Amino acid sequence: MDDRSLNLTTSFIDQIVVPGDVVLDLSSMSNQTIKLGGGLRQDCDTISVMKAGKLKFSKPNKYWVESSQKRYVPCVEDTILGTVVDSKADNFLVDIKGPTLAFLPVLAFEGGTRRNIPKYEAGTLLYVRVVKANAGMNPELSCTDASGKAAEFGVLKDGYMFETSTGLSRMLLSSPTCPVLEALGKKLSFEIAIGLNGRVWVNAASPSTVILVSNAIMNSESLSGVQQRIMVEKLMQKFQSSS
Amino acid sequence: MEFVSPEGLRLDGRRPMEMRQIRAQIGVVAKADGSASFEMGNTKVIAAVYGPREVQNRSQQISDQALVRCEYSMANFSTGDRMRKPKGDRRSMEISLVICQTMEACILTHLMPRSQIDIFVQVLQADGGTRSACINAATLALADAGIPMCDLITSCSAGYLNSTPLLDLNYVEDSAGGPDVTVGILSKSDKVTLLQMDAKLPMDIFENVMQLAIEGCKAVANYIREILLENTKQLEYRRGR
Repeated sequence: MDDRSLNLTTSFIDQIVVPGDVVLDLSSMSNQTIKLGGGLRQDCDTISVMKAGKLKFSKPNKYWVESSQKRYVPCVEDTILGTVVDSKADNFLVDIKGPTLAFLPVLAFEGGTRRNIPKYEAGTLLYVRVVKANAGMNPELSCTDASGKAAEFGVLKDGYMFETSTGLSRMLLSSPTCPVLEALGKKLSFEIAIGLNGRVWVNAASPSTVILVSNAIMNSESLSGVQQRIMVEKLMQKFQSSS
Repeated sequence: MEFVSPEGLRLDGRRPMEMRQIRAQIGVVAKADGSASFEMGNTKVIAAVYGPREVQNRSQQISDQALVRCEYSMANFSTGDRMRKPKGDRRSMEISLVICQTMEACILTHLMPRSQIDIFVQVLQADGGTRSACINAATLALADAGIPMCDLITSCSAGYLNSTPLLDLNYVEDSAGGPDVTVGILSKSDKVTLLQMDAKLPMDIFENVMQLAIEGCKAVANYIREILLENTKQLEYRRGR
């Protein structure tokens, strides 16, 4: 019985799974606590998959499904890019590409008091941090880090914002630096802000650099590390030969 | 008219238990959060899913689950004679409702309260079985959008002509006036979420025809699973992880 349960789990870990797949059979595992992350749910005695993706396992007992989509599921302590939709008396309504709009309290800024509330128009791009993300409530954001300092959060002026999938954002933020950003950084100088909700903001001195960086990042969605470097090389060659 | 020849071949050369060729593609509409195209023989449909996003009509907001809306429309050029009113007629409204109820059975709506999921299905080429093709396309599009589902829903139709149960009717067989049974099942748990029939059938024959349609659904489920695995693999592996 134990062998069969081991076979069941090891055959699915690090494998691609689709909704409906049963990945764990709890009746054959006894006296264990398992932690389920995103993409998995408990159905009586079995654990089944809710989203298509790769099943991951981390010792001692955490299982989750890693997937990449265009919409974002808010998670506490994520850093994301939001656009202001409206401003109310107590908070700004910010669109973060999630199931509902998020609230950004007007006082959630460094040195924020009732006297110096910022005035944001609809469409302003902000780099924010998720403070609360519960299922039934609108998520809450903040423009300060945990200790109350500004720490790069706030308005992003000028530049260009484009949307990607959440998987690409995670790859851009991974360490060591992902190949496409490394290759671009060697030749060009630009400013970049990456939100885990699938939004990226790029700013540089000249518009052509901004376009080059944005295109390179958008192209790198389905390329491996080596292919990304080659793609950036080709883009740079075209750019240099034309300018 | 003879729909099954004495040798056992149908009008398009298929055997009675043979399905038409199925083909699917994921990610065909760039702007949508999830999209898929599904073809069953000559029937081609495209499904696009938007959501979960903020409810646009505050009065329709449900406080403890997501609102699922579905719109079925046929392109003017999809049928033999050009159609004048692609959506809003009775048949489209009925099929929209049917698809909505079917998909709501598998979407875990309680995980996304006060939000909205829109499913738009459009038929590009209609040759019988559009309802089933739409449900299959919607399943793929929902999986592509990452909306939590408890299982994959697949659908297939079957009929009874010339005293033979036939699987996956095309337009000519469908308009022959015989019964047309459409079944939708949850692929892993084998539970029926959609069962529709027009015309009349005796009970024992109905059981055979429904069983045949369920077999067809399972075959579609295998194919859909493969397509989804392949698509997810391409997204994950190419990023070198």
